[in-house]
Amino acid sequence: MFDRRFFGLAAVPAFLAVFIITAVPLVIGLGLSFSSVTSTHNGVFPLTLSNYGHIFSDSEVHTVLLNTLIYVVLAVGLETLLGLGLALLMTRKNRAISVFRVIFLLPLTVAGIASAISWGALLNTSQGWIDYFLKLAHLPQPNWLASPTTAMPSVVLVDLWSGVPVVAVIVLAALLSAPKDPIEAALVDGAGPWARFRYVTFPAIRPALVLAALLRTVAAFQQFALFQVLTGGGPGLNTTVLNFYVYQQTIVFNNIGYGAALAMLLLVVMAVPLVVLFLYSRRR
Amino acid sequence: MSIQAQTRPVSDRPARPAPDRALRRAGRIGGGTLTFVLLIIAAVFVLLPLFWLLSTAFKTPAAAFALPPKWISKPTTGNFSTLLTGQFGHSILNSVIVAVASTAVALLLGIPAGYSFARAPVRGGRIINSWFILAYVAPPAIFIIPLYIIYQHLNLLDTYYGLVLAYETGLLPFTVWLMRVYFADVPRELDEAAWIDGCSKMRALWRVVLPAAWPGITTVGLLVGLASWGEYFGAAILTGQRTQTAPVAVYSYVGTVTSNWGELAAAGLIVVVPALVATIAVQRGFVSGLTFGAVKQ
Repeated sequence: MFDRRFFGLAAVPAFLAVFIITAVPLVIGLGLSFSSVTSTHNGVFPLTLSNYGHIFSDSEVHTVLLNTLIYVVLAVGLETLLGLGLALLMTRKNRAISVFRVIFLLPLTVAGIASAISWGALLNTSQGWIDYFLKLAHLPQPNWLASPTTAMPSVVLVDLWSGVPVVAVIVLAALLSAPKDPIEAALVDGAGPWARFRYVTFPAIRPALVLAALLRTVAAFQQFALFQVLTGGGPGLNTTVLNFYVYQQTIVFNNIGYGAALAMLLLVVMAVPLVVLFLYSRRR
Repeated sequence: MSIQAQTRPVSDRPARPAPDRALRRAGRIGGGTLTFVLLIIAAVFVLLPLFWLLSTAFKTPAAAFALPPKWISKPTTGNFSTLLTGQFGHSILNSVIVAVASTAVALLLGIPAGYSFARAPVRGGRIINSWFILAYVAPPAIFIIPLYIIYQHLNLLDTYYGLVLAYETGLLPFTVWLMRVYFADVPRELDEAAWIDGCSKMRALWRVVLPAAWPGITTVGLLVGLASWGEYFGAAILTGQRTQTAPVAVYSYVGTVTSNWGELAAAGLIVVVPALVATIAVQRGFVSGLTFGAVKQ
């Protein structure tokens, strides 16, 4: 009945392709991270640990790592909380709510670059709509993207625009497919709203919520378009996160070897929250 | 199932039993008005940039910068005709080529592999699994930057092949993974019945299993297509004059001296609309696809 050859033939091309196109760059990247290839020096050899030494001693890298931590924690934390809240608001079924469900699906289809340019224009200090309306309301008009205090929060805000709906849509799907009987039982037992959420609803949607948080963590570490379009990593180093720094070092400044080492750092740094979230999802 | 059906008499349904109503109330947080206010605030936040794109794309350069914003000005399609007759038209074509090619390659290789993964015990399956997850979640920089160096030597920079190949580092593992989930939902008995009836394995897959898994395939196709259509990071690094895709072209309109928000918005809108239309057309299974099939819709 079972045809080993057929299934082997069906699987091998994809497995081989994935292996080659990921392993080759990974190995070459790892090799480059020990090399000293720069704009002026083209040779790969000698292989040394100097790039990694530089990473640990460079205070710029420390700033960048801190920025990355702030960005990821703020973006993922707020997106998970607000997304959960938004999903809970949409559980009731009526015509108005279904309109909202469609509206909150929209950002999921919008390419990062398009949201970046729109928000860049909206947050523009002299011509943007947002500051114009703040002025009309006699409210302070922050220099959103150019001031050191507001630049990072502004980028997080724009990230929320695409991230909160992702979490909301996923959690809502889980809420709607969760069995109704336990809630009914909790009601009969006289459980209050918080107890019902804490002990009945939340356990039912926890896997979906963790998965949504995982997806947003991956997205936060990979975020590039927002930083390039909105702030260019500035002012100063204020919004330079690790992924953007890797890009700057390798592509802009041509420090290939150093950039490759930073990319390895990015991989390691990123693994930490993913493993934590994964372990949390395994916990009963 | 049957026990539940017995405890809830059918005759109760029109009368709406009390627990049901309380249940519905329990499902929402706060009162109806507060819920609405919060939802409207969130909706305004979500719609604001989309409204900016839509309205600015049809404005003349002067109207695009006007404050207070001109809500109803004479709409012009001038921005679109300027864009489409210039370099941007070429970029859209590039984006279409790259999105179609990336999706086709991912599905062509990923569907058989996903089927095989769902049905056959694969030796070293766990290792392959972990490798696929790593490939999917790893920041693109990990692959794209070494590829940039490799492509310099192989003359693959600024080519369609190079960009599509780079996209497959993430898209192909994603496709295999998701197709495996969808094929696992197709009952095994279906293939076996076809084999017993004398179908070859290939024919059974083509005629019986694929149609059953079709919703999953369209979902994967949509997600992969959307990802390659809107991708920016890899395209910014690996393309040049010849193969520049639309998202990269959009960025080239940002912050130039002759910056014209009307054209910028029109370019952004051209990137957004096809993705929106495709999503509405497919829609079903979008969420389950986003979550690797973990959350059913």
